[in-house]
Amino acid sequence: MPAEKKILLVDDSFFMLELMGRAMVKEGFYCLKAESVEEAFRILAVEKPDIIISDYEMPVTNGFLFRQKLLEDNSLKDIPFIFFTSFDNEEMMMQGLDLQAVDYIGKDTPIPVIISKVNNLLSTVREQHERSLQELRITAEALNLRSVPQQSPQINGFGIEFWHKTFQNYPGGDFIDFIQVDDQYTFIVLGDVMGKKWGAWFFSFNFLSYIRSAVRLCVLDGNVSTASILQKINNVICLDPVLSDVLSTLSLIQLENKTGKLLYSGAGDLPLVYYNAEEDKVRTLASAGLLLGLFPDGGHDEHAIQLKPGDKLVAITDGMIDFEDEAGKKSDYNLFVELVSPVLAQPNSFEKIKNVTFLKDNSKEQVDDCSMVFIEMNLTLS
Amino acid sequence: MIIQAKELNEFLVAQVQVKEANLNEAEAFKQKIISIVDEGHKHIIVDFVLVDYVDSSFLGALVSALKYAMSKDADISVAHLNKDITNLFELIRMDKVFRIYKNLPDNLYD
Repeated sequence: MPAEKKILLVDDSFFMLELMGRAMVKEGFYCLKAESVEEAFRILAVEKPDIIISDYEMPVTNGFLFRQKLLEDNSLKDIPFIFFTSFDNEEMMMQGLDLQAVDYIGKDTPIPVIISKVNNLLSTVREQHERSLQELRITAEALNLRSVPQQSPQINGFGIEFWHKTFQNYPGGDFIDFIQVDDQYTFIVLGDVMGKKWGAWFFSFNFLSYIRSAVRLCVLDGNVSTASILQKINNVICLDPVLSDVLSTLSLIQLENKTGKLLYSGAGDLPLVYYNAEEDKVRTLASAGLLLGLFPDGGHDEHAIQLKPGDKLVAITDGMIDFEDEAGKKSDYNLFVELVSPVLAQPNSFEKIKNVTFLKDNSKEQVDDCSMVFIEMNLTLS
Repeated sequence: MIIQAKELNEFLVAQVQVKEANLNEAEAFKQKIISIVDEGHKHIIVDFVLVDYVDSSFLGALVSALKYAMSKDADISVAHLNKDITNLFELIRMDKVFRIYKNLPDNLYD
């Protein structure tokens, strides 16, 4: 069932508000009612309607001024706006159209006609929105802007997999990359720009560009320490006037292809889940670094692990630990570890992790975009 | 309003007024904290007593507000985090960034 559409009615006549309100509720709308523009703004501070229908003639602030004020507010100016009026003065209508009101409804219009106008308008807005999304997607594809790679790297002796799921089909702030600098090292990048949808998605490319350049430049300089690379990335981001206001997590893993030696540093990221095959034990590996861009000194540390055949490592973003059940939304990292631990000892762990986490159970719905990178040292070196 | 603000000695306690602090609230929250800083308050405590769940967008807004506060010689701490939110703060090292108060005076909002 589609989400209830929210409508804000603004009219100084209590009778009109009640009449329209009842009709709208009957048609499945969720109705917010304001008897003045001032009250409308109090509502708009906490609720974001899908559409606003407002009277012209009101004491204190009239409909024109209301529309003007809305247009000055970036977060409100794009809400479709309809004037509801008993006037049919042409000059007034022109004035309204200048204020980007999408339509007029005369007060003598029968309620069913009003409802169908509103419904038509909302579906046009939705179609346009979807078309724009589609166009953006196509443009991003054409520019080869990808925050997630198309395939996993092939490294002899290792299985590297990743999984990424967008939130409600919107691209989000998660990003993944595998940087194969030379025959010797592969860098695995997993991050999450704080925020959702387009804003976060857009910034993920900026973060990725810095990360890619920092990794390559450092390796060229003979510096392969993940902590020092991370600190350099953090320095640049702190100096970037745009990105320093956007924060991102990062798990940076360096894998020495021939030996299975691994270095890990993190910035505000969730601990890695590490399965030691020899001991048949799962433990978590927490880094000390702060979110990228937070402070010039990120306090990044570095963990070294010698992977042995059968060892597995899982890195995730916070979408993987967000759950929703009857009680509401929550984040539970320990639950995630508890769920994945048993399957890490089994073959095909990567596929099984997807099955044991929230995707299995419909009552626990995804609430953010989520990503996972899985690294496994094969049992036999081929 | 996303925040109810109360002064407590040298502190300004900003109580978040939603159960689920997410993307929809993040920007308004950040702007509100910024305006509190601009009013000259130096010690701000964000009270999460009503909040059950915080998403990464909201955390981003909180951290970004902190960066702004620090640039104005102000600081932000947090209070009344539930168990899940406390765990989340510790997991991503936000506990190193914010001072966390377990309690505030009971009669603060009376």
